[in-house]
Amino acid sequence: MRSWLRQHRYALTITLRRLAAQPFSSLANLMVMALALALPLLGGAILVSAQPVARQVSVTPELTVFLQTSAPGGAAAAIAQRIRDDSAGQVQAVRVVPRDEALASLRNDPTWDQALAVLPGNPLPDAVVATLTEGEHLADRAGKLAQAWKQWEHVDQVQLDSAWVQRLEAILRFARVGLLFLAACVAAVVLAAVFNTVRMQAMLQREEIAVARLVGATESFVRRPFLYLGALSGALAALLAIAAAAIALAPLNSALLGLARSYGADFVLHLPGLPVLAAAVLGTSILGALAARWSVTRNTRF
Amino acid sequence: MIEFQHVFKSYGRGRNILADINFRVSPGEFIFVSGASGAGKSTLLKLIGGLEPASRGSIQVNGQRLDKLPARARPYLRRAVGVILQDTHLLFDRSALQNVMLPLAVTGQAPASAGARARAALDKVGLAGKEGMNPIELSGGEQQRLAIARAIVNRPAILIADEPTANLDHDTAQRILNVFRDFNRVGVTTLIASHDEALMAQYATRMLRLEPGKFFDSGAQA
Repeated sequence: MRSWLRQHRYALTITLRRLAAQPFSSLANLMVMALALALPLLGGAILVSAQPVARQVSVTPELTVFLQTSAPGGAAAAIAQRIRDDSAGQVQAVRVVPRDEALASLRNDPTWDQALAVLPGNPLPDAVVATLTEGEHLADRAGKLAQAWKQWEHVDQVQLDSAWVQRLEAILRFARVGLLFLAACVAAVVLAAVFNTVRMQAMLQREEIAVARLVGATESFVRRPFLYLGALSGALAALLAIAAAAIALAPLNSALLGLARSYGADFVLHLPGLPVLAAAVLGTSILGALAARWSVTRNTRF
Repeated sequence: MIEFQHVFKSYGRGRNILADINFRVSPGEFIFVSGASGAGKSTLLKLIGGLEPASRGSIQVNGQRLDKLPARARPYLRRAVGVILQDTHLLFDRSALQNVMLPLAVTGQAPASAGARARAALDKVGLAGKEGMNPIELSGGEQQRLAIARAIVNRPAILIADEPTANLDHDTAQRILNVFRDFNRVGVTTLIASHDEALMAQYATRMLRLEPGKFFDSGAQA
C-alpha cells in the first residue's frame, strides 16, 4: 500500500514538474479549456437565475372572463356556476372577482391609486377566474373554452393569463437543451485539448518512457503521470473557468440591474451553487483523465 | 538461470540474425558474447532481457519461459535483469543521482532509502561526489559507469551489457570491465557483448561467439 502511494506521489511530482517545465504552453492550454468551459457556466448562470422568476408565477393556465360593465349584479356568480356545470372535467377551480374587490386591490398599489382617484366611478368590470386542469393539449383546450365562453351573454372578453409564463417556460426548456448541447461541444474541446497535450508530452518524454520500461516500469507506472496531467489540467481549467465566469458576471449584473429596475424587478445573475460547481470541476477532471488515458494508450506504443 | 533451446530470430521475412542457438548459463557466471558487427550480439542480449521476442525456440530466464510470459509480467522480469545498452539511454533532464533513482521509483521505494541506495550504487562504480552533476557533464566512461549504476541499483540477478566499452580508451574500458567483474564476484550473472578481442583475452572466461550462420560456446567445448 505504501509503495502504491509512493508511486502515485512520484507520478504527481513528475506531472507538476512537466507542467512547470513549460509554463507558457501549459497556461495557454489551460486558458483555451477555461474559456471554452466558461461559456456553459455563464449559460448555466443565466438559467439558474431565470428559473426562479418563472417559478414565482403559476404556470397553471387561468382563463379570466371579464363581464360587460353593464352586466347585472348576479351575472358573475351565474357565469361561475355555468362554468362549473358545463366544464367540470376541464376546470379545477372557479372564483368570482367582484368589480369592487378588483378596484380595492388596485387602490392598494400606489402607482394606480392616483390615476383611479381622478376617475368618476369604478371602471372595472366583474370578473370570473377559472383555473384549468393540467393535461394534454392544454393550450388548445384553453383556446376552445375561451372561444365558447366569449359567446355567452354579459361576457365582454376572455383572457388566457398564463400564456406568457408558458412561453417563458418553453424558452427556458429550449435554453436547457441548448446548454446541454453547448456542454457536449465544450466536453469535446476539453477532450481534444487534453488528448493533444498528452500526445505532445508523450513525444517529449519518449526517452524517459523507454528507459522506465527498460528498468522494469509497468504500463500503469508509465501512464500514471499522464493521467494526472489530464485530471489536473481539467480541474485547473474548470477552476479558471469559474473565476472567469464570476469576473464576467460583475459587469453583466451592473448592466442588467438598471434594466430590471426599470421593470420594477430585482434580477441578478449568479453562478450555480457550490455542489454544481464542485461537480463541474470533478466532471472536467475525470474527462481530462479519460482523454489522457486514451491519448497515452495510443501514443506510447513504441 | 538462462537457457536457449533452438532459438531463431529474424526481422520480418528477412534472413535469420540468430539461427538454432543453444546454450545454458549457470548462476554467477561471467560470459563474453563476441562476434563481428552485425553478428547478432545485441539481438542475443535483447532476447535475454525480454526486450524482443524470439521468432522460434524457447528461452528461459531466471526460471521464466519468456514465450509463455504474459505482457503484464515482463516488467517484473526486467527488474531481475539489469540492462546496459550500447547507447546508454541516460536522461539529460536530471542529475546523475536522479537517473540512478529511476529504477527504485519504478518499484515504489521510499525517496530517502532510494537516495541512499542510489548513492551507494554511484559509489560502487566510482562516481561518488558526482551525484548532482548532469550526465552531459560526465565523460564517456563516466556516462557508461552511470548506466551501470542504474542497472545494478535494483540488485538484479543478471546483468547484460551491450558493447559497454565501445568508443572508450583502453584504460577506461579496463576500469569498466573491472566494475562488471566486481559485481560478478558477489554473485551477479554477467553477460557482456564486445568485439574487442584483445580486451576479452585478458579475462579467462567463457565466451559465446557469433559468426554468420555459426555459434560457438567455449563453455560447451570445455
